[in-house]
Amino acid sequence: MFDNILSILVFFPALAALLGFVVEKGSIRAYGIAVAAIEFALSLVLWYGYDASVVGMQFMESLPLISAFGIHYLVGIDGISLFIIVLATFFTLIGIASLGEVNRIKDMILTLLFLEMTMVGVFVALDAVVFYIFWELSLVPMLYIIGAWGGPLRIYASIKFFLYTFTGSLIMLVGMLFMAYFYHQATGVWSFSILEWYRLVLPENLQIWLFVAFFFGFAIKVPMFPFHTWLPYAHGQAPTIGSVILAAILLKMGTYAFVRFSLPMFPDASVFFMVPIAVISIIMIIYTAMVAYAQEDIKQVVAYSSVSHMGVIVLGTFALNVEGISGSVFLMIAHGVVSGALFMLVGVYYDRRHTKLLSEMGGLASVMPHYATIFGIMVMASAGMPLTINFVGEFLSLLGFYKQSHILTILAGTAIIVGAIYMLAAFKKAFFGTVTNEANRKLDDVNGRELFALVPLVLVTVWLGVYPKPVLEPISNSVTSIVSLMHEKAITPEAKERIPNPMRQDATAEGRH
Amino acid sequence: MLEPVNISLESLNLVTLSPMLIAVVGALSILSIDLIRGGLHKSLYVMISLLFLLLDLGALLHFVDFFKANGTMLGFFDVMLVDGLAVLSQLIIVITSMLFIPLSLSSKRFHEYNYPEYYALFLFMISGFQFMVATDNLILIFVGLETASLALYTLIAMHNRSKSFEAAVKYFTMGALAAGFYAFGSMVFYALTGSVEINQIATALAADGYSNIAYVLVAVGFMLAAFGFKLSLVPFHTWTPDVYEGSSAALAGYMSIVPKIAAFVVAMRLFEVLVQSGVIWLEVVLYAGVVITMTAANIWALVQTDVKRMLAYSSISHAGFAMAAILIGTTQSNSGLFLYWSLFVFTNLGAFAMLWVNRQKTLLPGQSSDHPYEKFAGLVRTMPMAAVLMALFMLSLAGIPPFGLFWGKLYMIGSAVSGGYTVLALIMALNSAIAGYYYLKLIVYMFMKEPQVSQKNFYMINASLSLKSIIGLAAVVTIFSVILVNPLLEFITAMVYNSGY
Repeated sequence: MFDNILSILVFFPALAALLGFVVEKGSIRAYGIAVAAIEFALSLVLWYGYDASVVGMQFMESLPLISAFGIHYLVGIDGISLFIIVLATFFTLIGIASLGEVNRIKDMILTLLFLEMTMVGVFVALDAVVFYIFWELSLVPMLYIIGAWGGPLRIYASIKFFLYTFTGSLIMLVGMLFMAYFYHQATGVWSFSILEWYRLVLPENLQIWLFVAFFFGFAIKVPMFPFHTWLPYAHGQAPTIGSVILAAILLKMGTYAFVRFSLPMFPDASVFFMVPIAVISIIMIIYTAMVAYAQEDIKQVVAYSSVSHMGVIVLGTFALNVEGISGSVFLMIAHGVVSGALFMLVGVYYDRRHTKLLSEMGGLASVMPHYATIFGIMVMASAGMPLTINFVGEFLSLLGFYKQSHILTILAGTAIIVGAIYMLAAFKKAFFGTVTNEANRKLDDVNGRELFALVPLVLVTVWLGVYPKPVLEPISNSVTSIVSLMHEKAITPEAKERIPNPMRQDATAEGRH
Repeated sequence: MLEPVNISLESLNLVTLSPMLIAVVGALSILSIDLIRGGLHKSLYVMISLLFLLLDLGALLHFVDFFKANGTMLGFFDVMLVDGLAVLSQLIIVITSMLFIPLSLSSKRFHEYNYPEYYALFLFMISGFQFMVATDNLILIFVGLETASLALYTLIAMHNRSKSFEAAVKYFTMGALAAGFYAFGSMVFYALTGSVEINQIATALAADGYSNIAYVLVAVGFMLAAFGFKLSLVPFHTWTPDVYEGSSAALAGYMSIVPKIAAFVVAMRLFEVLVQSGVIWLEVVLYAGVVITMTAANIWALVQTDVKRMLAYSSISHAGFAMAAILIGTTQSNSGLFLYWSLFVFTNLGAFAMLWVNRQKTLLPGQSSDHPYEKFAGLVRTMPMAAVLMALFMLSLAGIPPFGLFWGKLYMIGSAVSGGYTVLALIMALNSAIAGYYYLKLIVYMFMKEPQVSQKNFYMINASLSLKSIIGLAAVVTIFSVILVNPLLEFITAMVYNSGY
């Protein structure tokens, strides 16, 4: 039953989108919801079939694509990719379901289904070229969504988004070709399989160069400071659904790729770059938080806070130990849920008033109590309050990095706490006090369609905040195997020391009991 | 009293001439049909040309089998050279021609297609290009080049607009200059070595240890200029956009593919022996030429306001990209060139054919050229299918996976990496990023701008069944190239490797 489930997951939405061209305009929303629901159900089946105790990839499929150049259609998942896939199908479902009245709704829904294919494809691909195909292909639907349904500056924003990521990924492509070439030199055969590349031990200086090449591709996607300038434009101009998918899933491709490519392939270079990247991450956290505080547009506040939290994810990843990386993978999910929900909430207000300015809001809590409650929960989650989903991820990320550097961690931790100020300040400005703007007095509270999208997100936020184990355990099993691989591969003594062997740690821990 | 020359017919190996002769016979028979009965419909000539091209293709496929079994074949006083490169490039030439010729069955009448001479000239041109690639004799290359070019100038001029005459004359002048350079270059090579065969020139130069290096450099300089014109390498590219603009879109697409592959093959034969024999100067000049061609053409393309001119600059940039293969000079890079160009055939011809179907007879008021960007604004609302196809070709040209040209780019950059040209690989990659912008610009116009209602009836006005089928075929190959690439690559690599390149 599970033999080809990954291929089905990848290509089902694309096939459905092709067939969708025939579906009549009035029925397309139902069609889209149905397809996305089936896809989500399939991803739940995948979760059900996933065996958390198995180390390594599962549901692998392989098919020669261009065997003369070592390119195979190779897919498989582990605990790291599993939940991001579920998140992607989940967000596509609620995204389509909560879609307000838009022009050319048929084009929008079919584009979203194509986008879903590329998103799932990126996270299941285990061949670098296949990964690259989906990675690049995901730009096209997003370009269309921002460019066709966005705000006044939409064309500038969409082209900026496309060209930034495209440039970065072409440099990454050169890095991939080098990696394949070195593999060819070492073994005599061409291969683009990531799993094969894991087995290759490269000298440190080569690792550093390749790490830099890959870093350009990933860092622009995340986006890390100073490559982040495309994101505020993209978020500012994109329609609600575009921002939701962008923040919840597309940005995660970058951080996921760090875990999938950079760390296990270049362990020594990862140690070499650990401190510089940590410093960049902390700059990212502090600087974007300050920028967020100065914004007058609530969507920009959410956008900058989203970048700020991506900094924590990168920081956790480069802790290079099981706690940190597990925490950052978990935080990817958490950040997806929370910032996706926040963008959706901004969209709710925008649909009613067609403005996103904080000065237009004020005292909304008395007019829209349900809306204010949900918004409040999500703001708390975003600020990292205990018992919400973000807290678990942030705590683990920082705990992991604490083992590498106390000072940097304390700096980052303080920054996060201080960062809560701008979210709370924006929330206060928008929701509390008396209604100052007459136009807000007669607004409807959230309707059924919006609740359908928001309530599950609230439930997930609380559920995984209180009891993260079902998600955290598979993640940390897979991360353990990656970290021990890194420990084995590391050449320099410094890297050996910085990347602890998780297997031995477990053994000593059990010995003490 | 001269001795009677005694040559057995077998040693001539006349079969090596068969593909070109088929094209020539085709041209002659079209002319004779017109002599016997004039005023026949163009569809007849199209089909006759197609039939002869099919025969030509059959002969080439026979050569493929022969080459696989017996290797390189010489013929006709050892002037003809049928190796893997010759067969591969002729296959590309003939297949592109077969895709091109049905494009003359447009629904609007353009009067050049009503002349049977058009088709005869077309077939003569093909035979010229075929001669050019199937020899390493500098004289026969020259004959083939001139036959093909003269026919091509006429084909351009037959479009019968003032811009076409300008284009034809411009191309003719530049072509004459290039021919002059070529003749000078060959002359110096002959003076140095006493031979006009490329492999013997290389042997003779190597035997005497490049003692006359100054003369070699002069000859190489002339040759570079000659091929610079033919391949439209910067700074010899200035004719390209004007000529493309003056020709019909279909012919412009054809010109961006076929003459260039022929010139690439000759350049490969000539320059690779020289680069590998350690003429450092040539390597430096080629390196600079490749980088400047790619980059400068990309930057010019950014500021164009007409789609056809943009595609002209883009094809210059693609030529520079492919020229990198000759600089790198490994089997992988040479195979990469052929792979790149075979995929480029479908994508680029598809893109130009999309302009061709949107060609109206007269310009609208306020329209300064045939295909300004504004004409395509909001195409997705009025003609969703056409917009999607055009976007597909643009994405493929930009190198977005998994469409056609991505695989060519991947393999070419890969060959630069394994050939040790790291910086070149990065420049190639970054140029693809720059190019992304102007391809995207057309997509932005088609998908994100409001349509210009007054022009609603001007899309697809020239479309007919045969044009649509060609575009459909190009689109299918572009989309499903992922399946084609592996067999194609294995075939190309075997052919190139067994020819010794």
